Amino acid sequence: MDLSQYAELFLAESREHLSACNQLLLEWERSPANLAPVGGLFRAVHTVKGMAATMGYARVTELAHRAENLLDLLRRGGRPATDEVLQLLFRARDALEQAVELSVVGREDEIDVAEVVADLDGAAAQLGRGGEGGGGIGARTTPVPAPAPAVETPATAGRLVQVTLRAEAPLKGGRALLAIKKAQAVGPVRAVTPPESAFEADEFDGRFSFRIGGGAGVAEIERAVRAAGDVEHVTVGGEERRAAPGAGGPSAAPETKSRHIRVDLGRLDSLMDLIGELVTVRGRLNDLAAYARDPAIDDVAIQVSRLSRELQAEIIQARMTPVWQVFDRFPRLVRDLARELGKQVAFRVEGKEIELDRAILDELGDPLLHLLRNAVDHGVEPLAERRRRGKKPEAEIVLAAVRERASVAISVSDDGRGIDRKKILERAKRDGVVDPHAEALTDDQLLRVLARPGFSTAEAVTSVSGRGVGIDVAVTRIRALGGSIDIRSEEGKGTTFVMRLPVTLAIVRALIAGVGAERYALPLTYVAETVEFGVQATTIVEGREAIVLRDRVVPLVHLRRLLGVSGDAPTRCPIIVLEMGERTSGIVVDGMLGQQEIVVKGFDAPHGTLPVFSGATIMGDGVPALILDAGGLL
Amino acid sequence: MSHTVLVCDDAIFMRTMISDILAQAGFEVVGEAETGSQAVEKYRQLKPDLVTMDIVMPDMGGIDAVREIVKHDPDAKILMCSAMGQQALVVEAIQAGAKDFVVKPFQPSRVLEAVQRVLG
Amino acid sequence: MSDAGVVRLLLFRVGSLVCAAEAERVREILPRLQPTRIPGAPPVVAGVVNVRGTLVTVVEGWRALRQPEPSADGGGGEGGSGTTVLLEVGGGKKVLGFTVDEVVDLVSVGGEALERRQALPGIDPTLVRAVGRLAGQLFVVLDTDALLTPILSS
Repeated sequence: MDLSQYAELFLAESREHLSACNQLLLEWERSPANLAPVGGLFRAVHTVKGMAATMGYARVTELAHRAENLLDLLRRGGRPATDEVLQLLFRARDALEQAVELSVVGREDEIDVAEVVADLDGAAAQLGRGGEGGGGIGARTTPVPAPAPAVETPATAGRLVQVTLRAEAPLKGGRALLAIKKAQAVGPVRAVTPPESAFEADEFDGRFSFRIGGGAGVAEIERAVRAAGDVEHVTVGGEERRAAPGAGGPSAAPETKSRHIRVDLGRLDSLMDLIGELVTVRGRLNDLAAYARDPAIDDVAIQVSRLSRELQAEIIQARMTPVWQVFDRFPRLVRDLARELGKQVAFRVEGKEIELDRAILDELGDPLLHLLRNAVDHGVEPLAERRRRGKKPEAEIVLAAVRERASVAISVSDDGRGIDRKKILERAKRDGVVDPHAEALTDDQLLRVLARPGFSTAEAVTSVSGRGVGIDVAVTRIRALGGSIDIRSEEGKGTTFVMRLPVTLAIVRALIAGVGAERYALPLTYVAETVEFGVQATTIVEGREAIVLRDRVVPLVHLRRLLGVSGDAPTRCPIIVLEMGERTSGIVVDGMLGQQEIVVKGFDAPHGTLPVFSGATIMGDGVPALILDAGGLL
Repeated sequence: MSHTVLVCDDAIFMRTMISDILAQAGFEVVGEAETGSQAVEKYRQLKPDLVTMDIVMPDMGGIDAVREIVKHDPDAKILMCSAMGQQALVVEAIQAGAKDFVVKPFQPSRVLEAVQRVLG
Repeated sequence: MSDAGVVRLLLFRVGSLVCAAEAERVREILPRLQPTRIPGAPPVVAGVVNVRGTLVTVVEGWRALRQPEPSADGGGGEGGSGTTVLLEVGGGKKVLGFTVDEVVDLVSVGGEALERRQALPGIDPTLVRAVGRLAGQLFVVLDTDALLTPILSS
């Protein structure tokens, strides 16, 4: 059987289990006396072992087997885990992960598992020895039976049946028990030797005998015993018969198709592109139908619209991936970092099940990594400082995902020292980022300063975050995804970064706004509402033109001016109110041309292009329209 | 008419492989379960001719699932899927009412032999 | 472009200049498409057009080569140059549109017909790779990368 077709599945599923192992180990480490995670760990490692054995990956199997042994002892021992054992299990998990990854690419022989295996065995031996009172391996393995009294004649009435199982048969005890069950169907069975309890021991060698009563004939008894499978010899009432070699199963049936399909991500992407084109054509069809005023064409247009919308929804759904697929590696990472830096950190993850488009999620790993590293390294104070400030020694870092309208907010918060604004202000003045007379930095300004490439306020350059705090990387990535990033920081209390991202990149609902003769698309993701205002209703707040909307000051951006469209705006015009976290802005346009699904496409932006576009789309008439980026406008 | 099978294993990898082996031999895999309790539930719904049952599963293990299923249907034909080193568990499963077992790593011929024995 | 081998060139006219681009860099020749303005981009950029679902940024040939603006009816276009040539830039990584008044010919010329001369009245010498002559007509082989790459931002 060709196993290569299963390699990808093996890899994906092993990764999941190993990731789960990380979570469980962390949970265990937090409260070593609580043994709840051990069962899950045992199952995960056991599953990986079974799969690896099937794939023929000997080293993975070996390593998993040893880890499973130790876990089994721990599970049965019922005692809290020592730090030593936990660290060993973390190490074994990492080795297992490496072994899995290398095995799949055919480099299994590069892995040396001997050391971890030896340590696992050592720990297991120690546990086994110290296992007084029901602990240890003895609980499962019944005492080793006396070797092979099998051919000895039981001195009870009935035919004597002597059975030898094939040497290569696995789990001979189970097979023996099956043979006895089969025999019981033809007559009462007595005097099983060795006793059935010995079948549970790994040392059982496959030779056993019993007496069977009733009137069943030799052939019938033999057939019954052989039906258990893996039987080498059966002797009934003294007569011996040899099993026919290779009593085979049914011949292979003609090939049938697999019921399972795994879809390559690239396929999903090109499917998405095709749907994109379909959506564009659908827009054109709708325009034509509106123009033709023919009920028959209308009908078709409506049907095509419905079908393509459903298809689109299905494909977008197929691309949706829960955030835990990226989040799950962080608990371990935060723990390792904290240990390395000698800090105590309780890390919490919330909203793991929130879904995002795969393409966006794939891009999130790095920015989150930077932010989390920052939180542990710079956010969380050293223990002594926390104590001085009267904080509990264990710091808290939370990674949370929350669905907000058409976007997802992902935040990284710590309860550490907060950002020292004074220090940053000085630095910002020196670098000329802010007015030299500025007295304080707002959160927005703070972010702008932090996001400058290579900006660092770390007193010591540590191995963890290296030079620069990496926020510039996070900000650039998030903006490129059409998202935004905000910061809230309070000295002494902590820092929170919030990233807001569209749920999907490829197709979004957008408002189409007219400015002069030009059209622009504005994704609804961050549109709070649209209001109609006469020019006279605007006021000036802090030097900026603004409107007041339910007691909220909304600064205005005149798109016509911003984009350099000549001519005057109409006297009454719509304002599109954008909201992104705390920030808000009113975009003044000439007119609203409707709402539609747009396919987001990239284009090569010439130098000088205003930094307010996230891409372009093709309108129903085939002419492109640029997509305004809410993050850039705010 | 082909025999219907319910495949129970917490690993998709294993379910896929077992389903492939059985489907290629002409069996009809009518359902899959990831946990013991799902297995019991699906057995009641689907009444398959054969069940392949992993021993170690979350929620409810395979052996308890065998007990539950056999309680309702003493004739249930259940094939345990075990691993090396699970002798005691396999014995327990057979005592609970499982009809046969196969050992990972699976060889298609051995799986099909066991299936024939269970159905035969 | 080797000196000795035969080179295939696409000849086109922009204003009073006859120019050539290596045919292997030419993806497609299209009629003039309606461009969408890109705010903030330099005037040499006509905008972005839709080529069967793909967005292509288009450079206005007459501006890039400092030729007078074509008259509204000249060159057979709707108020501009009549044809868009899609050119590969940066070793085929990107494709840009380049508007020309008209495509003149597709020719194969031997290396000896080309002269590594760059000084030619009315054109920036850094944009010229060679000068050729065909049936008495002088033409400029453009260095399309030098011409177009600076227009794109990094």
